Amino acid sequence: MRLGVVRGSVVLSLATPELTGLRLAIVEPIVRESLEKRGGHPGLPSSSLGGGKPLIAADQLGAAEGQVVAFIEGRTAASPFWPDKVPVDAYCTLIADTIEFHGAGDRPLPPAAGGTERRRSQSRKPNQ
Amino acid sequence: MFLARIEGTITATAKHPTLEGLRLLIGQRLEADGSPAGDPLILVDTLGARQGCTVMVTSENEPLRKAVGNNTPVRLLVAGIVDTVYQEAAA
Repeated sequence: MRLGVVRGSVVLSLATPELTGLRLAIVEPIVRESLEKRGGHPGLPSSSLGGGKPLIAADQLGAAEGQVVAFIEGRTAASPFWPDKVPVDAYCTLIADTIEFHGAGDRPLPPAAGGTERRRSQSRKPNQ
Repeated sequence: MFLARIEGTITATAKHPTLEGLRLLIGQRLEADGSPAGDPLILVDTLGARQGCTVMVTSENEPLRKAVGNNTPVRLLVAGIVDTVYQEAAA
């Protein structure tokens, strides 16, 4: 699942029977840089979030424009309709109340690759 | 399966019913050198991973489907909390 901001919706005049009556939201994925810029404040909404390539996701929660959602892509996106088979490959799973994002925080990334262990500084060696 | 770092949390009232009671975290997939790869991801956590933890994530949701039902629209699970990563030096 990725995070996204609802930017609009799509209405079909003609649709396959499985999609009839299904709300389709336009979702702009939230990229890492935009979350980092916003910082760790849990409050929503944030109009500056987004930055990804917009896509269409099925929405049964009624997410409004500007709301932050999480969406699943791929085969699993059709799971809520199981055992029916529907041609859906993106689905809004939740509407976010709060998002707390600390980024890498004060913990450094695991040290760069180099034949040594990358986390915790015990001096164990492999193959011993 | 891949490695990710826990970087935040998310709360939601309106959600798919199968997500009720699940702990959701924001994780960042990591490259082999520890740099971020791609966009932040929402992960289901049953192990109690904390902010800053490096975790191993699986995209096989069979255990979750067994627990909450076949219709759950969730795939990424925290499968383990990483202690140590050994890696051969790049040539």
